[in-house]
Amino acid sequence: MASAVKKRRMGLQERKEARQGFIFVSPWVIGFLVFTAVPLLFSLYASFTNYDITSRQDWIGTRNYTNMFFHDPLFWKSLHNTLYYVVFSVPLTTLGSLLLAVMLNQKIPGMKVFRTVFYLPSILSGVALYILWQMLLTPGSGLINVMIGWFGVDGPAWLVDPVWTKPAIILMKLWSVGGGMLLYLASLQNVPEQLYEASEIDGAGPIRRFWHITVPMITPVLLFELITHLIGGFQIFQEGYVMSNDMNAPGSPVNSLLFFNLHMFLKAFKVYDMGYAMAMAWFLFVVVIVLTVANMLLSKYWVHYEGGDNR
Amino acid sequence: MKTNKALSVSLATLLGASVLLSACGSNNNNGGDDNAAAANDSAQPAEASTKKVTIDFWTFWGSETRRPIIEKIIDDFNKSQDRITVKHTYYPFGDIWTKELAAVAAGNPPDVIVNDINTTAQRADKNQNTNLTEYLKKDDVKGRFFPQLWDTVIYKDEAYALPFTTDTRMMFYNKDHFKEAGLDPEKFPTTWAELEEAAAKLDKKSGDKYTRIGYSPQYAGFDWGSIAMNFDKGLNFFGPDGKPVINDKAHVDAMNYVLANAKRIGQKNLDNFKASFGSKQANPFIAGQVSIWPDATTFYTQLRDYGQNVNYGVAPIPEAEEGSGHYSVGGGFVVEIPKGAKHPDEAWEFMKYLTDKSAQTYWAEKNFDSVANQEAANDPELLKNPVYQAAVDNMKVTKLFPFPVNAPDFLNLINPNRDAAILGQVPPQEALDKAQKDVENLLQQNAK
Repeated sequence: MASAVKKRRMGLQERKEARQGFIFVSPWVIGFLVFTAVPLLFSLYASFTNYDITSRQDWIGTRNYTNMFFHDPLFWKSLHNTLYYVVFSVPLTTLGSLLLAVMLNQKIPGMKVFRTVFYLPSILSGVALYILWQMLLTPGSGLINVMIGWFGVDGPAWLVDPVWTKPAIILMKLWSVGGGMLLYLASLQNVPEQLYEASEIDGAGPIRRFWHITVPMITPVLLFELITHLIGGFQIFQEGYVMSNDMNAPGSPVNSLLFFNLHMFLKAFKVYDMGYAMAMAWFLFVVVIVLTVANMLLSKYWVHYEGGDNR
Repeated sequence: MKTNKALSVSLATLLGASVLLSACGSNNNNGGDDNAAAANDSAQPAEASTKKVTIDFWTFWGSETRRPIIEKIIDDFNKSQDRITVKHTYYPFGDIWTKELAAVAAGNPPDVIVNDINTTAQRADKNQNTNLTEYLKKDDVKGRFFPQLWDTVIYKDEAYALPFTTDTRMMFYNKDHFKEAGLDPEKFPTTWAELEEAAAKLDKKSGDKYTRIGYSPQYAGFDWGSIAMNFDKGLNFFGPDGKPVINDKAHVDAMNYVLANAKRIGQKNLDNFKASFGSKQANPFIAGQVSIWPDATTFYTQLRDYGQNVNYGVAPIPEAEEGSGHYSVGGGFVVEIPKGAKHPDEAWEFMKYLTDKSAQTYWAEKNFDSVANQEAANDPELLKNPVYQAAVDNMKVTKLFPFPVNAPDFLNLINPNRDAAILGQVPPQEALDKAQKDVENLLQQNAK
């Protein structure tokens, strides 16, 4: 390697520029190393210890991991809850926002008003929203069950009945499809008009036009949305903490809302079992990275990039 | 050249990381000798005692009612001597202890903090608060406190905090409803069976919809867990030897009691009715929706402020059978010195003041909290209020249940099984057997 360095010496000007370049990027490089890389490596190390922040950090090998896989019933319960949420919520929100975008892409008067109205809910977020939905989902007198009642159907007990809590949360999450809608709308408007015209001359109906022109043209955005929603889905936490049936039992009823990150949070900050929580975090990290890489690999079979594959 | 630089940067990072890691490691090694540390700290200030010191006091009392009260107490303390100045820092209830944890880990904690009474031993075990043994040798303040409160601050026979406030649960009941239902308004049911009988008479319906429910264990602050403790004569979930006794017969009986009430009224009716509960004027007891309402002493302040028209009485919690005991449950807060505080001696002086008679009486008077200092709690002015008198009497049967150090999160394993039983998914005995097994398993994991 030494010879490789000798082979091509930098000129004075070049070296000066390189130095300046490094100085300019150093805040970000240092920031990344200190605030991301080191904590990340530390958490990997600490997941093999009984670290509890204040009193101990002894190497215990893989005990956190074996406890997690073989002795903690709540680990599997929380993983199941999170997977349930991801499996249903990601396709539904993707479908929901795409459908909404297609509808809002029509050329009718007053469309700007509709777009604003449908986008508005995604501005609201956080705990206030969850409280609002708790009211909407009240079994007896909540608006949703009252509306279901108009059709002569007795609505479910939503957040009280453990079978219905997760569907309730998934339903609530559809509230914010506006954010995804905006991205789809932008990409829909980028689909060249002449493609539609050409296919129309060839006799393609609206459904064929949608499947063979619209969908392929927006697949890059679909992939982006899919990956970010997947990652976001695995991070679900607040909903189980705030919308639990019993304030003193996060994730209730019957742990049906005990999501993976909620269990991790309780282990880390309520009983200070930080080493265990870090082991959980690394497990989730591996799951998410495997899914993301799989998505990226599979994407070459269905994602279409206009202007070549090098993007 | 480039590769060299990249290599050296990553090497430097690794080095930095390992230095950090080893620093963390060595910091955490002095867990065992709290005593020595405390002794060292208290040896220094003999010469420095004339130096003026400012100490930082963290509370979550920021509301317009509580803030002026605690600040008046701090002000009084600051004026009572000229060496120590206490600075009050307020953090919201949801943040304060996480912030403290980070501050202790960083070695820069406040000098005094208000913390949860039931987790004092857990923090002592984790080296988050300061051993008070040396200070107690100088000033023995143990006798000030209700004995069951003192027990909560003990970890391995040594004290780590001073109790500040507590609470106790009693039965608030609507005397007008009692009269209306043909019950004696001056005589509250003594046993749980009698209570359920009275409750049935207090229910009111319009068509098949409830407009008033006499009593449900699923409403307000005395749920199955508390009733189970009352049924088993104040033992609760762990036996005297520390072994879990969750599937004890008394606990199953308590669950059957809760279920019988739910069956009589209908779980769905209970849930729907609960959904209409509000707060303040719309509190279900104040609004007359529920006739019997178990709650902590401070519920009085809500009745005082929003329920002037409610003709209510206060009674002890019922007992399982005649003479088995009216056991109630309490909680509360302690004041303690986080581990690594800069001025533990001055912090101790302030903690003594906070738990002394004058500050405690003032706190009780203004907040209507049950205070930890027995003398203050028995202040004759305070006892003139019948609710306060009842609360102080109730302290005799009030139990506290600090979380066991080796299974602090055991409730997370009991609660889902409790829910499953109440929802009728699993028979009570089976649910509690499962809870018992889960908690035993947790203890086993933590024992390793």
